[in-house]
Amino acid sequence: MSRDWKNRSSFLSRRNIFLGGGAVAWGALTVKLAELQLFRSEEFETKATENRIRLDPAPPHRGTVYDRAGRILAGNKRNFYVTLNPEEISNASLNVADVVKQLSRVLPVSEARQRSILQDAQSQERFLDIMVADDLTWEDFSRINVMAPELGGVTAEVGELRSYPYYAAFYHTVGYVQKANDKDVLRKIEEDLKAIGQTPDTADGQKRARIIRRLYKHPQMRVGKQGVEAFAETALTGEPGKTRVLVDAAGRVIDRLASEDVSGRPGSDIVLTIDAELQNYAIQRFGVEAGSATVIDVKTGEVLVMMSTPAPDPNAFVSGISQTAYTALLEDERNPLYHKAYDGTYPPGSTFKIVVAAAALESGKMSPEDRIHCSGRAWFYNRYYHCWKPEGHGWVNLHTGMQKSCDCYFYAAAQRTGIEKIAEVAKRFGLGHRYDLGLTGGKAGSVPNDAWKRAVMKEKWYDGDTISAGIGQGYVTASPFQLAVMCARIAGGPDTPAPRLVAHGVAVPGSMASDMGEFQPRSLDLVRAGMFAVTSEPGGTAIRYGEVDAEGLLPPPYTNARMSGKSGSAQVRVIAMSERNAKGEAIKNDKLPWRLRDHALFVAYAPADNPRYACAVVVEHGGSGSSVAAPFARDILAATLKADPGARPAFTPKAEVATLPNETEPT
Amino acid sequence: MIRRESILGKLGGMHWFLLLTIVAIAVFGTAVLFSSASSAHDMQTGMAVLDARYAVEHAARFGVMMLVAVTIALAPLRLWAGLAFPAYFVGVAMLFGVEFAGVVVNGAERWLQLGPVQLQPSEFMKLAVPLALARYYHQMFQGQNNARYWVHLPALAIVLIPVALVLRQPDLGTALMIMGTGLAVIFFAGISLRIVAGVLVLVAIAAPLAFYFALHDYQRQRVLTLFNPEADLLGAGYQLNQAQIAVGSGGLAGKGFMEGAQKELDYIPEQHTDFIFTIIAEEFGFAGSVAVLIAWGVALYQGMTIASKSGSAFGGLAAAGFVSTLALYVFINIGMVIGLLPVVGIPLPLISYGGTVMLTVMVGFGLLMSVHLNRDNNIALRGII
Repeated sequence: MSRDWKNRSSFLSRRNIFLGGGAVAWGALTVKLAELQLFRSEEFETKATENRIRLDPAPPHRGTVYDRAGRILAGNKRNFYVTLNPEEISNASLNVADVVKQLSRVLPVSEARQRSILQDAQSQERFLDIMVADDLTWEDFSRINVMAPELGGVTAEVGELRSYPYYAAFYHTVGYVQKANDKDVLRKIEEDLKAIGQTPDTADGQKRARIIRRLYKHPQMRVGKQGVEAFAETALTGEPGKTRVLVDAAGRVIDRLASEDVSGRPGSDIVLTIDAELQNYAIQRFGVEAGSATVIDVKTGEVLVMMSTPAPDPNAFVSGISQTAYTALLEDERNPLYHKAYDGTYPPGSTFKIVVAAAALESGKMSPEDRIHCSGRAWFYNRYYHCWKPEGHGWVNLHTGMQKSCDCYFYAAAQRTGIEKIAEVAKRFGLGHRYDLGLTGGKAGSVPNDAWKRAVMKEKWYDGDTISAGIGQGYVTASPFQLAVMCARIAGGPDTPAPRLVAHGVAVPGSMASDMGEFQPRSLDLVRAGMFAVTSEPGGTAIRYGEVDAEGLLPPPYTNARMSGKSGSAQVRVIAMSERNAKGEAIKNDKLPWRLRDHALFVAYAPADNPRYACAVVVEHGGSGSSVAAPFARDILAATLKADPGARPAFTPKAEVATLPNETEPT
Repeated sequence: MIRRESILGKLGGMHWFLLLTIVAIAVFGTAVLFSSASSAHDMQTGMAVLDARYAVEHAARFGVMMLVAVTIALAPLRLWAGLAFPAYFVGVAMLFGVEFAGVVVNGAERWLQLGPVQLQPSEFMKLAVPLALARYYHQMFQGQNNARYWVHLPALAIVLIPVALVLRQPDLGTALMIMGTGLAVIFFAGISLRIVAGVLVLVAIAAPLAFYFALHDYQRQRVLTLFNPEADLLGAGYQLNQAQIAVGSGGLAGKGFMEGAQKELDYIPEQHTDFIFTIIAEEFGFAGSVAVLIAWGVALYQGMTIASKSGSAFGGLAAAGFVSTLALYVFINIGMVIGLLPVVGIPLPLISYGGTVMLTVMVGFGLLMSVHLNRDNNIALRGII
C-alpha cells in the first residue's frame, strides 16, 4: 500500500524526467556562465573599465585674434568665477536658496540670475556644478575664498574668459563668443562628425557627440557666434584635452586620475590684415553718425579697416547679456547689431557712375567727347527723369559729367550702353557676389539685368529700369565693402589683388568669382580722370575735400597727396512728383526725419596719381555724399597714408611655432 | 533508547545533509550580502569600508526562520495535510481581497492590509497551491480515482484560479511561478505524457501570440532586450548590460571577496536583492558561480529523494511541488541575471536580501523535513480537513 501511489502516478519515472530536465536547465546556465566568464571575460573586463573611467573634455586655450601689428583684438583674460554644488550644499546641511542669498550680498548676482541658479539646482542632476558669477574682481574673489569654508559646496575658481580690449570697435568684424546653446552644440557635433567621417548612429560617433556635449557644458567653454570668432571657430577652439575621471553609475565624479590627463591642442592664433588703430580712428571720426567705412590696400588687397558704427561692446555678450539690454540693441534704429559694411546693402547711387562710365567707354557706344545737354531733366520712355540739379548742367561730356555727377549724362550713357554691358562691367568691378573673407555673414548685393529681374522679380526688364540703373538707383544694390573693392579696382586696374582679411591662422576659401579682366587702355584712365576732377577741378562735387595732405607733412611719396573719388546719395524713399516744388526740387534732407534722409556715400582712393589705399564710406541717413561722406573719406585716407600700414607686412605670431612641447601631431 | 516519534528522535532523524546544504547556502548568502554593502578598497579613500546591515538582517532572518522550519518539521504531517485545503481557500479569499481592497505598491496590487499587518497572498499561494494539489491527489489515489479521465481537471482549476487572480494584480512573475509549481505537481501525479507533450506544443504555438497580444509593453521590451541587450543601453537594456559586465568581468576565479568594482559605483539597481548573483559572479568568478549551481543542485536532488521516498502521496507530491518551486526560483533568477531569460522580479532563495522569499522557502523546507520524518507512514485523509 505504502508504495502504491508511486506506481499509480509512475512517480519515479516522472522524477527522472524532472531531474533530467533540471540537468539540462543547470547545464544551460553553466554554458551561458562559461560564455560570459570564460570566453568573453576580456571583453567585459574592458567594458567594466570603460564604465568607470570617463574621459572628461578639458576646454582648450582659445586662440588669440591679432591685428596686423600684433595688437590683441580678441584675447583671454584671467577669470575669477564662483560655482556652487547643490549636493555638497545639502551634505553640509545648508539650503541652496540660503547660500545663494548669502552670496548675492557679496557678489553681483542679479535677481534673475538667482532665480535661474535655483531653477538649475532643481532641474539638473544635483552633483553638477552651477556657475554663480564669473568675471569677478580680485576683491570679490578673495572675499568668497574667505567665506567658502563656511558655505560648504561653494568654490571659487580661476579660469580664462574671452576679452575684447577694443570693446565695440570689432563687435562686427571679429565678433564675439557666448555660452553654447543647444543649437550650437548640435551644429558642432554635426561638423565634428563630418570632419572625422562618422555618423551619429555609430558607437564612435555617439561617443564623440557625448564628449562635445560635455565640453560645451563646461563653465569655461564658449562658442564663436559671429564674425571671425564664428567663422574660425574650429581653428580658434583647438582640440580639447582629456581628464580621466572615475565616475559612478549616475555620472558623479568620484575621483580625478590626474596622472592620466591628456593635454589638448590650444587653438590657433589668427592675424587679421586690419589695423586696429586706424579702425578706431575711423570710428571716432564718425562720431555720432551711423554708418560704415572700409579701407583696402590697393597693392595687396588687404582690408585695413572694416568698421560699422555704432556697435555694442562684445565683452557684454561673453558672460551673457540681459534680455532687456539685448532688446534695446535690437530696437535701436541705428542698427548697432548689424555689420553695415559687410551685411548692409544700399543703392550705390552716383558712386555707380564709375561703373556706368567704364561700361559706356568699353562698349564704344559713348566716346569721351560725346556731349549731352542737361536741362535739369530728361525725357525717356514717356516720363521725365530728373537730374539732382533742377536748373541743369548745360552741355556735359564724360569728364564733366562725372565731375559734376550729372544724372542726365548718365541716363543717356546707360541708355546707349544697355543694361547687359553695365551688369557685366559691374561684376568685373566686384559687385554682385559675396566675398569670403573669414567672417560670417556677407551680402552679395544685386547687379540687375534682364535674366536677374526675370529670376528674382518674375518680371521682364523695362527700358526705364536701365535709366534708373545709370545713376545707381532702382534694382542695383551693393555693400559698402563691395564699393571699396570697386574703388580699389578702378584705382589699381586689372592687377588689383583679391581682397583679404585674414593674414595668418585660418584658411579662407578664395571665392573670387569675378575676375576684373582687361579693359581698353584709355577707359580706366578716363574714369580716373573724372574721379580726380570730382575732388580737384573747380566745379567738382567734392572740390573742398581733395587735399589729403594740405600742410605737406607726410613723407614722400605721399607729400601733398590728393585723393580721387566719387560721391553718391542713396535715396531711401521714392520721391513722388507731388513732393517736388515748382522748380522741380525735392525736399531738402535736413527737413526730413532722420530715418527718411538719403544715405551719404563716398568712394575714394589716394594718392590720386599713384593709388595705394581705397576707401568706401557710407553715412546712414547722412544726406549728401559730397558734403557729409567726403570729409570722412578724406580724413580716413589721410590717417591711412600717415600710418601707411601697407609698408609693413602683417605680424606673425610666435605661438604658431611653439604650441606644445609634445603630444600634438605635427600640423 | 530514543523513540523515533519523540522530539529528540525526530531531531536525530532529520535529513542532516539537506539541512547542512541549506545552512551552507544561507551562510554564503550572508557573506555575499556583507560584500554587497562593503568594499575592500573604497574608491575615494582607499580604505576598507565594512557595512553589515544586510548581512546581519539576513542571518537573523535565517535563524528565526530555521526555528520555524524545524517546528514545522516536528509537527505531524497529518496536521499540514489537514491545513492544506483551508490554507488554499484562505489564500484564494485573500487574493479576492487584494482584488477589491488591495494596496497598490509600484503600480501593482499585491498587498493586503489587515490592521497593522501587510500580507502578500500571492507569495503564500506558492506553498498553498502545491499543498492543496497534493492533498487532492492523495484523496484521488485513495479512492482509486486516479485513472479517471477527469481527475486532472479539478487539479487544473485549483491551479488556474489563483493564477488568474495573481495575473490581474498584475504580477506575471509570481503567476508563472504558481503555474509552474502547480503544473509540476500535476505532472508528478501521473498525467499522461501525451497530454504533457500536447500542452508543450500548444505553449510553443501560443507563446508568440501571447508575446504580441497579452504582454505589457515593458514586458515585451524585456524579452526583446534579451536578444539584443546593446540596443537600448540607457533604457531597458541597461540593467541586463550592466549585470552581464559584472558577471563577465569576474572571469574564472573572480576579483575576490569585497573586491567587486561594479557594485561600488551603483551600476546595477537591486543588486542586493534580485541581482545578488552579479556579486557572486564578479567576486568569485566562474568557479564560485558554478559552486552555487552545484550547491543548489545538491539541495534540489536531496529534496527530490525525500519526495520519492515518501510513503504518502500527499507527502511525495507536496515535496516534489516545493522542490519544483525552488528549482524555478533558482533557474529563473540566475537565468535572468546572466541574460538567458527575460528580467522578472524573482529573488535567489537564501541569498537575496528580503523577508518574503525567506519565509516561503523556509516554511517549504520545514514541510520537506516533515515529509522526510514521516516517510514511512501513509495517512488516511477524508473530507477537506
